[in-house]
Amino acid sequence: MGEKGYFGPYGGRYVPEVLGRAIEEIEEAFEAACTDRAFQDELALLQRDFIGRPTPLLYAENSSRLLGGADIYIKMEGLAHTGAHKINNALGQALLAKRMGKTRVIAETGAGQHGLATAAACAKLGLSCTIYMGAVDVDRQQPNVATMELFGAQVVPVYAGSQTLKDAINEAFRDWAASFADTFYIIGSALGPAPYPDMVRTFQSVIGKEVKEQLASRGLEPEALVACVGGGSNAIGFFSPYLEAEKPRLIGVEAGGRGTSLGDHAARMTGEGARTGIVHGYKSRFLLTEEGQVAPTHSISAGLDYPGIGPQLAALGRSGRLEFRRASDEEALEALTFFARHEGVVFALESAHAGAVAINLARSLPKGKVVVVNMSGRGDKDLFITAPYFRPAAWAAFLERELAALRAHPSGIAPPPSSGTGLENARGVAHSTTSKLISSPTSREVHHG
Amino acid sequence: MDKIRLMAHLVAGFPDASGCRAAAEGLIEGGASYLEIQIPFSDPSADGPVIQSACAAALANGYSVSQALDFLESLHRDFPQVPLFVMAYASLVVTPGVEQFVHMMAQRGVMGLIVPDLPFDRDEGLAEACAHQGLVSIPVAAPSMRSERLERMAHLGRAYLYAALRTGITGTTTTIGEGTLQFLKACAAGGSKVLGGFGIRSHTQARAVAPLVHAVVAGSVFVETIQEAVEAHRVSRSASFKGSIEVRDTAIRENIRQKAQEITRGE
Ligand SMILES: Cc1ncc(COP(=O)(O)O)c(C=O)c1O
Repeated sequence: MGEKGYFGPYGGRYVPEVLGRAIEEIEEAFEAACTDRAFQDELALLQRDFIGRPTPLLYAENSSRLLGGADIYIKMEGLAHTGAHKINNALGQALLAKRMGKTRVIAETGAGQHGLATAAACAKLGLSCTIYMGAVDVDRQQPNVATMELFGAQVVPVYAGSQTLKDAINEAFRDWAASFADTFYIIGSALGPAPYPDMVRTFQSVIGKEVKEQLASRGLEPEALVACVGGGSNAIGFFSPYLEAEKPRLIGVEAGGRGTSLGDHAARMTGEGARTGIVHGYKSRFLLTEEGQVAPTHSISAGLDYPGIGPQLAALGRSGRLEFRRASDEEALEALTFFARHEGVVFALESAHAGAVAINLARSLPKGKVVVVNMSGRGDKDLFITAPYFRPAAWAAFLERELAALRAHPSGIAPPPSSGTGLENARGVAHSTTSKLISSPTSREVHHG
Repeated sequence: MDKIRLMAHLVAGFPDASGCRAAAEGLIEGGASYLEIQIPFSDPSADGPVIQSACAAALANGYSVSQALDFLESLHRDFPQVPLFVMAYASLVVTPGVEQFVHMMAQRGVMGLIVPDLPFDRDEGLAEACAHQGLVSIPVAAPSMRSERLERMAHLGRAYLYAALRTGITGTTTTIGEGTLQFLKACAAGGSKVLGGFGIRSHTQARAVAPLVHAVVAGSVFVETIQEAVEAHRVSRSASFKGSIEVRDTAIRENIRQKAQEITRGE
């Protein structure tokens, strides 16, 4: 695989010296944990009892019959605790943080799924937790913000830049530069400075290992594996047991968004404006202007609109082992509807991009072939995006009714909070109401604003 | 009192092209020995809120790298005696190509480059390209570095070494203690001239650091001074009335000059 920390030409550790020590410490701790039986046993137990692993591999029988081609199987990562694959990595890193004697965790989140997973893992392991989230993402992912606060995390909205995931990452780096003595930064995807891409792949590889066993136990050989690619953590974990082999086909699906011009999509491998660059501590493919400024991106799914891609996936794309496709916002919504209607399964909008490509692929392949799609998350979190799309009038009426009820009884059944509403809390204006009501040993004062 | 050697940090394009030119003039009049010009980047992950928002404002205004090059060229033409250093993030350097970027800088008379996210042992050929084209590449040291690594950095034979006086980002205050002294000694051990800063905003701080370094670095404090002048004159970036811009620019230059003097001489 070449030089340590690199995947072909990509990867590396391009960070200011101030972060160098913090990252070296993690590298040492991670390497030690990989061979530490006690750590592995504790992780395995939590994977079983807390995450709910293994997650099922569902034969999408109705869909396959309707499409008339290959058989589609769905890896149900959305059934993992907190609703997405993100928990595999968040829990692994949180456990590592604890092993290193850190008491505080910071993380960044886009869709909110990584923040949610991190907040849950911290609550479970007794670590204090601060989540940085772009203000735009805070607005579009309110249900996740509310749950993170319920877990005792402090959610800090980031108003800089495009107010999305990339800006939340910058803010997390800033916090970390000053706080790494007691603080561990849990990166949410298979990117960032080495060893993060290796670490995230390792913790996510549980997905692929299970799929391999589940297929083998049914005597199936997959023709293709399909996963959506934001930063690339669900994809690399899902693909990991097959990377060295020549089969099956591995297909990564990027956000095609609403069009092909720079700013309308998040296709770092196939899109306009995709270049090799160095951002956020690693070398990979990014959406950049000619001068090297990070370009704006768009996707209907908050989890896919990051302007970079994990370095290992970029290298696999370059070597040809991995095929890249894109699915548009529309196609993702269609796939979401299709699997909901015919399988009773609601994909997260991110995963629905993979679903869209799986549908096309299954159609084009003969009967008897097997296509496995990773449902990286389930769609509950997206209801506030999808419901206005599918049933605008009824949804508007519902929200108006809810708002009226909230205005009439601002505090619901709980004692009234001293200031403002739950909404203001979610924007970080006031500190979490829960930690005011119940003083838990892990709650602490605002550490970084 | 002796004058303190100052390396003043400035964000190119902030608050706009003419305003930052006025600020540079004020710094030079106020006694800055070096200028460190930061090219605004969309994701300045190692900067504090003050510099970060200055970068964002410049970019929102449409400020480009090529405008920054024009700015550097004119500064060098008009003040050839003031060494110009450029601070940029890796993305701006590697996207056009390291050789090409260094070439663009060399043509504008820039003396050295500071790229915090290209560490000295993983710099994509920056130091070599600089050496080729007559520039110096200035590595950034942090107090949290392992001593072997710091020693290696100090003995690279670079003309200058930038010492960040504490862990964390730019803009918050720094206290100078016994540890700082040891750190700066280690930085200077190989004979590089040490530029030390992070959080310097007063003469008292500058005095404390000055004997230990070749020059003291200050940045956020000047960005704030510019901001105050802009606000006092309430001229927005989009103001079209030329006269009001001139009044504002005069205020920027004057306030910056005073602030630089205050830091270097305590006046
Ligand atoms: C459900 C879901 N799938 C996919 C992603 C994309 O991330 P990655 O490519 O790292 O799996 C996210 C990110 O938030 C997500 O929430």
